[in-house]
Amino acid sequence: MRTGISELASKLRKREISAVELTKTYIDAIEKLNPTLNAYVHLTFDTALKAAEKADQMLKEGDAPLLCGIPMALKDNICTDGLLTTCCSKILEGFKPYYDATVWEKLKAQGAVLMGKTNMDEFAMGSTSETSCYGAPLNPINTAYVTGGSSGGSAAVVCADLAVYSLGSDTGGSIRQPASFCGVIGLKPTYGAVSRYGLIAYGSSLDQIGPVTSSVKDAAIVFDAIKGGDKRDQTSVDYDYGDSLAERLDRDIKGMRIGVAEEFFDGINPEIKYKIMEAIALFEKNGAIIENIRLPALKIALPVYYIIACAEASSNLGRYDGIRYGYRASSYTSIEDMIVKTRSEGFGDEVKRRIMLGTYVLSSGYYDAYYKKACLIREEINREFDAVFEKCDALIAPTAPNTAFPLNHKVTSPVEIYLSDICTVPVNIAGIPAISIPCGKDSKGLPIGMQIIGKKFDEATVLQMAYFYEQNSGIDVGVYEGGARA
Amino acid sequence: MNYEIVCGIETHVELATKTKIFCGCTTEFGGEPNTHCCPVCTGQPGSLPILNQKVVEYAIKAGLALNCKINTKSHMDRKNYVYPDLPKAYQISQYDEPLCENGYIELDSGKRIGITRIHIEEDAGKLIHEKGYTYIDYNRSGVPLIEIVSEPDISSAEEAREYAEKLQLIMRYIGVSDCKMQEGSMRCDVNLSLRKPGDPNFGVRTETKNINSLSFIQKAVMAEAERQADILDAGGTIVQQTMRYDEKTDSVTPMRDKENSDDYRYFPDPDILGFCIDEEKVEEIRASLPELPFDKFKRYINVLGLSEATAKQLIKYKKVAEFFEGAIAEGASVKNAANLIVGTIFSNMDTEEEKELFAIRISAAQFAALVKLADEKKINIGVAQSTLQKMLESGKPVEEFIKPEDLVGISDEELESLCKEAIDANQKVVADIRNGKDKAINMLFGYVMKKTGGKADIRKVEAMLRKFIGQ
Amino acid sequence: MAVSKTEIEKLAKLAKLSFSDEELERFTAEFDAIIAFADTINQSIEGGTEQIRSIGARMVPFETLRPDEVVPSLPSDKILSNVEGYNGFFGLERSKK
Repeated sequence: MRTGISELASKLRKREISAVELTKTYIDAIEKLNPTLNAYVHLTFDTALKAAEKADQMLKEGDAPLLCGIPMALKDNICTDGLLTTCCSKILEGFKPYYDATVWEKLKAQGAVLMGKTNMDEFAMGSTSETSCYGAPLNPINTAYVTGGSSGGSAAVVCADLAVYSLGSDTGGSIRQPASFCGVIGLKPTYGAVSRYGLIAYGSSLDQIGPVTSSVKDAAIVFDAIKGGDKRDQTSVDYDYGDSLAERLDRDIKGMRIGVAEEFFDGINPEIKYKIMEAIALFEKNGAIIENIRLPALKIALPVYYIIACAEASSNLGRYDGIRYGYRASSYTSIEDMIVKTRSEGFGDEVKRRIMLGTYVLSSGYYDAYYKKACLIREEINREFDAVFEKCDALIAPTAPNTAFPLNHKVTSPVEIYLSDICTVPVNIAGIPAISIPCGKDSKGLPIGMQIIGKKFDEATVLQMAYFYEQNSGIDVGVYEGGARA
Repeated sequence: MNYEIVCGIETHVELATKTKIFCGCTTEFGGEPNTHCCPVCTGQPGSLPILNQKVVEYAIKAGLALNCKINTKSHMDRKNYVYPDLPKAYQISQYDEPLCENGYIELDSGKRIGITRIHIEEDAGKLIHEKGYTYIDYNRSGVPLIEIVSEPDISSAEEAREYAEKLQLIMRYIGVSDCKMQEGSMRCDVNLSLRKPGDPNFGVRTETKNINSLSFIQKAVMAEAERQADILDAGGTIVQQTMRYDEKTDSVTPMRDKENSDDYRYFPDPDILGFCIDEEKVEEIRASLPELPFDKFKRYINVLGLSEATAKQLIKYKKVAEFFEGAIAEGASVKNAANLIVGTIFSNMDTEEEKELFAIRISAAQFAALVKLADEKKINIGVAQSTLQKMLESGKPVEEFIKPEDLVGISDEELESLCKEAIDANQKVVADIRNGKDKAINMLFGYVMKKTGGKADIRKVEAMLRKFIGQ
Repeated sequence: MAVSKTEIEKLAKLAKLSFSDEELERFTAEFDAIIAFADTINQSIEGGTEQIRSIGARMVPFETLRPDEVVPSLPSDKILSNVEGYNGFFGLERSKK
């Protein structure tokens, strides 16, 4: 296993290595690998070195926080004051926010060292990161394959050790699915656990920021640092998690009730199903009680997700009109024409498709049949999860029905790609937490991800189960030739 | 013209909160362009709205003052349309769960104009078109508004004006808005259709937008009703469209509509949680309401004994009513105070705006000091009026103009001779007094006071008169 | 439910997007598939009539709403930092070749 955050922090505190030295190691690795992997789209080495110097100062003074001086990365949809934040879209070309996202404000205060912004599907809309206007990032495990998406860059930089950890955002699986494709850990927290202020919105009622890391403990450490209510995000909740979750990972799973719903295994690649079943068996062998449960509404969770997310997106993305920031069409006949040209030239096809779908489901005559209906089914899905969590402490499911797609994988319809979100979207619809953790590889050597799903604000159980699995499965995470700490 | 007017008015009222509806930026009017702005009110990516409590409170206040039912559960919706003055490309408003519903405003005739709903929403920025360029200032963006929608109960231009006037007055009384139409803090959209009397069906309606004065409301209703009547008389049909009232030509013309504005795709704003208000809070707000204009009007007539005409003038401006009541509280008489305000003070104010502003240089207490001199007949009304005028011009108190010696400034000899003169000139009155009609002595007071210009000490005059009459 | 080209054009107008003829053909075909996919929600669970509130019907009491206290605004050069400003105004030419 790779050196975790706490070990690095201890080395930094003991001054065995300085933050500047550590940062330089990462700069070297990024310069070497990023031209191939395309995982970072904006590099921030200058500010990183300055941040590292500041971190060294904090470390010298003692009492530095755990994340002080640790190189990390942010998804390109998380606002960073004075630094490019483009959602990997041409329409946000050159956009530098003059404010920080709350998560970045928190990490910066801890002395975090930002190496750059990571590649992603344009506006987080996609499952492969191929809709990025900067081209797709490559999967470090096998560069002929995609990283998954939309937080593909965030998963790739952790996988290739071009950052100790990164933050991604998850609207329908965008942290967990790329984590699964790249063989790293991705945590989607409870909706409201982490402030969304400064996260450029895709589907506001589903979006949530979370960590991508190379160990469960690191995920807990980063989650500890970014969680909490925020007066700038009314949907955030100041939930009392008690002590640090990273200090409470060790838990006896004996007697723990784990739910397994057959709906999650419908149409899943048999290799993946087999690995997940093996993992479930490991839990059972160690005293967990496996409950077979049903979640019938899951079979329509996918269209519900696409309807709600796209409806919100069509509204959220209306503001990109070329007037206040970003790309503006160079020639036009009127302001109206400028707006239409800017949007038509600035957005990629997938974003346009989703804006169109969202516009459709909200338009008069269709609202009741689609948007309203989807919201009502969402309530039903919530009720089903509530009922399941009466009997279970957590659920285990695959993260994705497949392992990483080959690059430029041809599909007959965009819907084919949508279907690959089947295992992750129910979690966003219900606003509950889930983690993706590697549980082996398929016959092509591509990582398989297992999802552990918990009750609202019960990240503790999710992390504890993942930690148990990580410690007992014998599966190595994030072994990568040529990364910063190789 | 043999048609009945069916008219409803939508009124946007800017709320007098300190901060915008979804961020802490000031709502102050004016300012250098884009200096009352932040990421939230300029729609920066990643920013999120946080609802201002005061906006909800003020809207409830308005609802209660307009006899509405308050919905204790409510939420915000997004109204989607793209326009450069709307930085998020949606206006946060309320669609199917407005804060207030089912109220009314009572007109002088006793007719009630129903209020369908009141909801809260945000204002847009300001566009300036100049020499091939369009400039945008977002200082107004996010300023809180309430939209008050009336039922189509209005059936004449006069009623339309009275409705708007009453609405404005009530909003000003409860302090939720200054409702300055010329500054745009109150704007009216008039929906109007015609129908044959007795016809249960409504005709096709038009909407005349953004009318910014009370008299224009009246004129716009008149002009639009005439326009529609002419079309109908000629056998034509009314087109449902948005109109603009042009005050220069006193006519209503179709406005080029914002394109595609017909499908707003409303849906609940996922960034803002629904909110609930408990009944106790509603009652607390109700208890905080001041006396409303109509109640004040009735009290001035029934309790204070003022005429309808005077009462109407005093209640019409919140600050005037406050000044008047302040003077009464200081001991001034109702009648003299009211008459001096309506007669003398108002004669210094030419416009409605000046009366509304009521920026005068003396306090209610200073005014009361003057009124009391008149009440006690130490000065007569003429002197009171001229002295008040001097006080208004200089801002100085009454003592500056009427000295104690002025009040007693006539020698006893002079006074005695005047008293004798009064008796000689009014022999019949003297006889009445001697026969027990004591009140007749007032005639003699009047005579002496007139001769002295109101400056004589009334008690001294009485004593002298009685001595000479022999009582 | 098949969506006609005219409907796609209407939607595009609402969404402030324009498509070339070729794009429109392709989009219409793709959109049919997407709508057919969205339509699968209509295969089960009857829609009720309850009102849709914001997320998860979560509600907050009036007392928790933001107090009306002024926070200093940002200087206009910050507000305009991502665009060419015109004496403190956002602005643009109404047409440009």
